[in-house]
Amino acid sequence: MNLAEHLKRSAVLGIGISVLLTLVLSTWMFHAEESDLRLQHKQRLALLHTNGLALAVANISVEETGKRVRDIQKLDPRIESAIIVVGMQLVASTRDEDAAPRQLKREEKPLFDLSNLIRTAGETNRGEEVVRKKTIQIDEKPSGHIVVTVPYLSDGQFAGILQMKFNTEAAEMFSPLPDSYSLPLLFLLAALLAGSLLRMNTDRKVDVAKLLALGVFLAIALSYQQQRLNRIEQMMAQANQSIAANYLATAEQYDRLGYLALPRDSSAVNLWDTDHYQRPLGLIAASGNVSAKAQAAYFDKRGGFLKRILASFDLLGLGVLLMFIYGYAARTFSALKEHADAYTYVAPAMIGMLVLVFFPFLYGITLSFTDTTLFNESLPFQDRLIGWDNFKAILGDFNLYERTANGIIWNYQNFYWTLLVTVIWTVSNVTIGVTVGFFLAMALNTEGLRGKAIYRVLLILPWAIPNYITALVWRGMFHPQFGVINQVLQMFGMQPVAWFDGVFSSFMTGLATNGWLSFPFMMVVILGALQSIPKEMYEAAEVEGADRWQRLRYITLPLLKPTLIPAIVLSVVWTFNMFNIIFLVSGGEPGGANEILITKAYKIAFENYQYAYAAAYSTVIFMILLVYGTFQTRVTKATESF
Amino acid sequence: MKRLPMIFAFVSLLIAGIFSAAQAAELIVWHAYRGAEKTAFEKVAQLYETKNASKGIKVTTLAIPYDAYADKISASVPRGKGPDVFIYAQDRLGGWIESGKTVEPIGFFMDDATRAQFLPGMLDAMTYKGTVYGLPLNYKSLTLIYNKALVKSPPKTSAELVKLAKSLTNAESGRYGLVYWYTNFYFHAALMNAFGGRVFDKDGKLVLDSPETVASIKQMMKWYKQDGILPTEPSEALVSSMFNEGKAAMVLNGPWFIGEISPSVDFGLALLPVIDEAGKKPMRPWLTIEGAYVSASSKQKELAYDFAKFLASEEAGLILALEGRQLHTNSAIYKDKRVSGDVVLNAFHNQLSSAEAMPNRAEMTMMWSPATTAMNKVVKGNATPEAALKEASVAIQESINALRKGR
Amino acid sequence: MADIKTKNHVWLHVALISFTVLAIYPVLWVLALSFSGQQSVGLIDLPKDPSFLERFRGILPMPAHWSIKNFTEVWTDQDFGRWMWNSVVVSLMTTALGVFLACTAAYAFSRFRFPGRNTGMLMFLISQMFPGTLMLIPLFIIIVKWLELGNTYVGLVIVYATTAIPFCVWMLKGYFDTIPYDIEESALIDGASRLTIFWRIILPLAKPAIAITALFSFMTAWNEFILASIFMESELNYTAPVGLRFFVGGFSSQWGYFAAGSVIVSLPVVALFLQLQKYLISGLTAGSVK
Repeated sequence: MNLAEHLKRSAVLGIGISVLLTLVLSTWMFHAEESDLRLQHKQRLALLHTNGLALAVANISVEETGKRVRDIQKLDPRIESAIIVVGMQLVASTRDEDAAPRQLKREEKPLFDLSNLIRTAGETNRGEEVVRKKTIQIDEKPSGHIVVTVPYLSDGQFAGILQMKFNTEAAEMFSPLPDSYSLPLLFLLAALLAGSLLRMNTDRKVDVAKLLALGVFLAIALSYQQQRLNRIEQMMAQANQSIAANYLATAEQYDRLGYLALPRDSSAVNLWDTDHYQRPLGLIAASGNVSAKAQAAYFDKRGGFLKRILASFDLLGLGVLLMFIYGYAARTFSALKEHADAYTYVAPAMIGMLVLVFFPFLYGITLSFTDTTLFNESLPFQDRLIGWDNFKAILGDFNLYERTANGIIWNYQNFYWTLLVTVIWTVSNVTIGVTVGFFLAMALNTEGLRGKAIYRVLLILPWAIPNYITALVWRGMFHPQFGVINQVLQMFGMQPVAWFDGVFSSFMTGLATNGWLSFPFMMVVILGALQSIPKEMYEAAEVEGADRWQRLRYITLPLLKPTLIPAIVLSVVWTFNMFNIIFLVSGGEPGGANEILITKAYKIAFENYQYAYAAAYSTVIFMILLVYGTFQTRVTKATESF
Repeated sequence: MKRLPMIFAFVSLLIAGIFSAAQAAELIVWHAYRGAEKTAFEKVAQLYETKNASKGIKVTTLAIPYDAYADKISASVPRGKGPDVFIYAQDRLGGWIESGKTVEPIGFFMDDATRAQFLPGMLDAMTYKGTVYGLPLNYKSLTLIYNKALVKSPPKTSAELVKLAKSLTNAESGRYGLVYWYTNFYFHAALMNAFGGRVFDKDGKLVLDSPETVASIKQMMKWYKQDGILPTEPSEALVSSMFNEGKAAMVLNGPWFIGEISPSVDFGLALLPVIDEAGKKPMRPWLTIEGAYVSASSKQKELAYDFAKFLASEEAGLILALEGRQLHTNSAIYKDKRVSGDVVLNAFHNQLSSAEAMPNRAEMTMMWSPATTAMNKVVKGNATPEAALKEASVAIQESINALRKGR
Repeated sequence: MADIKTKNHVWLHVALISFTVLAIYPVLWVLALSFSGQQSVGLIDLPKDPSFLERFRGILPMPAHWSIKNFTEVWTDQDFGRWMWNSVVVSLMTTALGVFLACTAAYAFSRFRFPGRNTGMLMFLISQMFPGTLMLIPLFIIIVKWLELGNTYVGLVIVYATTAIPFCVWMLKGYFDTIPYDIEESALIDGASRLTIFWRIILPLAKPAIAITALFSFMTAWNEFILASIFMESELNYTAPVGLRFFVGGFSSQWGYFAAGSVIVSLPVVALFLQLQKYLISGLTAGSVK
């Protein structure tokens, strides 16, 4: 038995690779999570001290403020410096070289801007009665310092900012557990050992060895992940204890200096330990006690998110394992080798497509799982992640119409209404395109018709003109007062029509424009197909006594089908996403009734600034088309016949 | 040994000198002008270069089609690319500020003299939540434009307006006394403001369905239905063609309209009338104000600000007003004989006495489409002003809530 | 028999002529507007109570006064010549790249049977289903931020070529399928390499389809304006459609200039269409009816 054959039968490669993949991904994620926790802890510590200082200097005289800031800085060697900025003034600073109070210097503009930013954030949160803007800013410097900026209050009002530079390197951190790689290595070894012992039966779909292999994979992956999850929970608890200890020590010093009384009441809210919106975290009470309940809830929230990601890693590993034990991996590998020629030919186009079409699309799909809008796009990605909510909101909204005394009122903003319009739009357009194209092609295919070439040239013209020009011209032609179409109506004594006011008439404007744009393509396609039908077939049919209709029914149409189907598929996809015509001709009037999905998505993104919602909309559009495309190609096997 | 630091300082100065000389600063400026405006703007940029020849500053301007402008800014500036200075109207400002990393606040650079140089209300458009983000350059507003052959003296009050317009209206032959795009909310705002209606209050709450706004729509409907002085189906194209054919005696329109008036029409400009029904308050059109903004991604913000300041100066203002036909924001230029003697520039300058900056909130973009739908419904008799505005408010509020989400 | 045929043709001509008039009416209208020397959309001022004839005159796509003012002003107002040149360069480069990529891929899809072939074909179709409007920012990130190809022809060419690929691959593959395999087989036996066969035999035989692919790639590049205005950072590098867009949008639109510009921009495409139209019909479909 050679090595290749051995590898094929043993599970060592499959289990090895899938376990390695899952462990590497999990380890990477835990590593990221732990360093994130450490960073958060540092920031929380720095914020704790800054909030404390801000509380101690709020609403007192300027001289006293300067003194207290300097006093407090001396208490703790970790506080490198602290400054207070009010408007254009540097009011207080712990650094002598700053020579506070004085006017801000030219290069200190960021302080002035930051002060305005934080003031605005507070005003916005209060004015809109929604907490959405951070009133605290935390920056990490490459030197290891953390710079925290919080509002500085005077007379109970926002007056300026207090900025503290906090040295976290010099400070004693909670004991960080070493990041060890021996544990995952051990798990991997166990997996390899189990894998080499298992012998797969390649002929049977289900055998004990395969089930065992899956079991081994799951046991190893899950126990490793649980191990690390426990560690995370431990770290969180340590962090809370460390913060509580720091808080107590510092608050007691404040108490002693008479700057701030330390509340002994355990029910009082701790105002030092807050999030970036100045809301108390509630993990530590004002008395310094850690709240076990809040801590557990916090871990549940954060751990729940981790668990979901871990589950996806497990699924990925499971998929890889299944690929191996069912021999797909081996087959893929040999296919790659065998058909290297073919893949080389396809590769350039594929790479181009992957980078420039599929990457942006993945970007869009990722976006659709967030709640990104214009107002929060600068927030970090995890903060915006919301899962399936956008899709639920789009697909779960059945508020399609309303019954009133005056009859049914349709809700034009509803997704299903827009979908209905889009489907009607697509079907009617393609029908018109094919019908008109077919009749013109038949006409132009008439034997002995003079001037064929001229007709053909003139009829292709609409295709050659850029479609945004076409759209704008048609919009002009439908103008209620000057539009040619109403002029013609009036010429024959009819009343002019306000085209964009009615749901139906407005729909017709788009239909006319797009029909005009799309018939040449169909005409050319059908004409080509007609010309390649051998004349002998018709002659033979005529001899057999078939009449015109029979010849059309039994020769022309069946022979057109293979050409027509792919052309129709393409044209359905194009029409479904025909943005320019709707956007430029009717604009979805009246009241958005004639919007199609793609223009609706555009308006959601660029008028309502709900980027993520628009991305979800686009993803739904794509899914609909994908289902259609797969269904259609299944039915007609268009991929084969084109 | 004492000399060493001095030599060192000297050498470093020398290096710095060579460095700055070799690297002549290049300022990149984006705008959306063309035609005369573009020519005048480029002239001003060149003038700035000449004035700063010793510093070796080069100003590179780039004209961008209006349709692509906002997208180009939003795509490039937050990603560290793009211009040092860009010019745009205030309507996008709020959105850019809320999304961050686009517009640099410039309040820090501004001195009192600069603040004082602008016409009243101009700096408001560049101020978002109490912080100044740009220097206003020029404004556009509506005013009353009339056909001198039909209107001898323009009306000062709404009563006069209706009386005069009725005498000039003959629906049979398609002649109307007053023509404006009254279903477009931008045009309607002049009437709304007269009644004291607002879209947002000062805290940013939506108040579109206030009684004042309802009253303003009722006033418009009175003109349309009862007095019959307004034509049906108004649009920009309708207004210009009716005015050019002599079928519209008076129109409400802005400076962009002047270029569309046919040479055969002798036109005059006047202040928008006082509305008697609104307690004798004048119509107050919205001002759209173009500002010069310093890009948040600029590496030379002080220089960028300096250029923006030059654009807003009297010297540049005169060129932009006289050659580019812009309504510059620098109050000093209206003392110049050439400007005050110019009928058009002077008339729009006068209208400023009652006008106000259009809100620069990002939420404004969500207002246009529902508000236009509401106006159309009322005009077609499909809804009362109260119901239509209520419905529009609900829709707008929904969009706003999606945007202002709590964290 | 001959009589009936001629009679039939008369009615056919009537039908075709009336349809053709309808079809080219908007085109004539743009032409009329461009030669009107004015900027508003209405071509003619109608009198108070227009008669039938006056109304008829109103709908004729003929300007009240003929003038080439719009053309001369469009041409001199902006750097139109330079922008046309850029458009030509970008479009030709797009055509070359697009055709190359599409040909190789289509050849593989047509001639080889390999795992993933159907999936691959489906992927090309699927890519046509991506709504393009939201791809702006990611494309900007790739082309300008990562590849640093902002303000270059190459950046635009890459994007345009990939946009055009799916349609081209689908079409070319259909055409390649109709070329008998026997020819290649005998060449293979004679010892020719795949590359030689592809280059020497397949490509010459597929000329009509390649012409259409080229035309389609060309049009993709020629008509696009939003990416061109976003990627380009100097006016010298704009393409013609960008220039055209200066006339509409914002507060006022100059329809006359826009029409004249449209005519100028459309001319090369129309000329190409006319040149290639004999291929158009055979290239799109020939042989798919076997």
